Amino acid sequence: MGGPIAVLHPLDRADGSASYKCPSTGSNILGSVNAPIELPGRRDALKPEEATIEVFVKPGTAPGGVGERYVEGILRTALGRVILGREKGYPRRGVVITLAIVGGESVGRGGSYLPLLPALLHTATLALLSASVPLSVTLSATVLAVNSAGEITREPSAKEVTTATSLHVLAFTSKGHLLLNESEGTFTFDTWDDVYERALAICHGSSTFGSDGDVAMAETTEGQPLDGIVRDTVEDHIHRDYAWKIDAA
Amino acid sequence: MSSPLILLPGDEVPSEYLPNSSAPLRLGPGLRLLSQPPATKPSKHVLTATQAGILSTDNKRNAVSILSTSNRRYVPTSNDLIIAQVHHSSADYFHCMITPQSPHALLGQLSFEGATKKTRPQLKGGDLVYARVLSTGLGPGAEIELTCVNPATGKAEPGGLGPLNGGMVFDISTGMAARLIRASSSSSDQQEGVAGLVVLDELGKKLEKAGGFEIAVGRNGKVWVDCSNSEDDAVRATVAIGRCITTIDEHNLNPTDQRKLVTRILREMKIES
Repeated sequence: MGGPIAVLHPLDRADGSASYKCPSTGSNILGSVNAPIELPGRRDALKPEEATIEVFVKPGTAPGGVGERYVEGILRTALGRVILGREKGYPRRGVVITLAIVGGESVGRGGSYLPLLPALLHTATLALLSASVPLSVTLSATVLAVNSAGEITREPSAKEVTTATSLHVLAFTSKGHLLLNESEGTFTFDTWDDVYERALAICHGSSTFGSDGDVAMAETTEGQPLDGIVRDTVEDHIHRDYAWKIDAA
Repeated sequence: MSSPLILLPGDEVPSEYLPNSSAPLRLGPGLRLLSQPPATKPSKHVLTATQAGILSTDNKRNAVSILSTSNRRYVPTSNDLIIAQVHHSSADYFHCMITPQSPHALLGQLSFEGATKKTRPQLKGGDLVYARVLSTGLGPGAEIELTCVNPATGKAEPGGLGPLNGGMVFDISTGMAARLIRASSSSSDQQEGVAGLVVLDELGKKLEKAGGFEIAVGRNGKVWVDCSNSEDDAVRATVAIGRCITTIDEHNLNPTDQRKLVTRILREMKIES
């Protein structure tokens, strides 16, 4: 199983964009961010001191429906906690995030969006980073399926999802705090605790937090931690952009 | 100089990277000051990044900021030099485009050097001006005001502000525009050039015989090139310079490759140097 493939800034016209491909769930997302932009006729928003965040999820083949609106709501809440909407130039302007599902299993009508949610979150985070939208932290997320035998599968395929008794999406900030938890199906508290431990290891490596709150990165059986993949993608991109400055130093 | 440090949002700036001076530190874009509860640490304040980028410190001005990705959209800031295109004119103002997607900026009919009601420049839609951003206003929907003159002295300061006649405009990334401004404003006696750019020096040397060229760089990702002195070669030289700059921007070429590219393009365009 290969790790996810992320590309920063594949689109020319958008302020920031990213594409993200997760081989194990088969999801392939293209995301763009435009910020800060003027929202016509929205100048007196309900929260005049904050930026308005809009998320659009576009399925590849079908028109958007209730499922997309639902996952847009989840994404907006999670990303709203990360985006600093009060920074200079952002209040009363808009941060528009568009996520297109360009490949993989399409979600049927009434189907669960949870298997796609981590890929959507990663794409949105990377696109926000490439648009230089001020963020308080970065985030990483994963989806876990628990089957009737109590086995936990990381980033399940479409077939594994149908046989699972419960599905869990957990997102962590780069500081290791739990940012988002969406679960469906039947499970016990103990199962959730196991899922939490496993998800934390996937996102941040299995090493524990140091006393200073820093996360020590470690290669484990889970492969490279997802947080490290986000970091590496961004660092690579900046290295390329500022090669002239880094070479001179 | 210590190795460049790449930070992501939420990362703390290590104190050894900060300029050690007793004067107050200036925080540039991409950084914020967070206070921690006194119990957690001996130092109560930490600097954290809010954007992904390279940490850049300026010991002279005691400033620290984050250089973010270079291909972002231009957001007007006061005192930026930009190349604007007149869209239409009204009784008191020229309405100018800074970027195609932003609302029009205002340039006063009389904010040119030596302009009076009778002698003001007659600009038509499509004409170019090299202007300074005077104010950006507050909040969304605010109007951006441009000027081609220093209001205090009545002179076009810094030099060259005003209508741009002839020549041609090329689009570049905003990061490249910032580099070109740094490279053309400081003296370039270094071998490697300023900000890793040797293209202007190289072109200047090669085109000296052909009559030289004029260049104006706008922060909004535009560069204006004119070679009207070089008679027969004027159009070819202008296009060659534009091609050099846009190719270097696209492919992030290093100084050696920049020199090679200049030689190759001038040869292809049949401009003898």
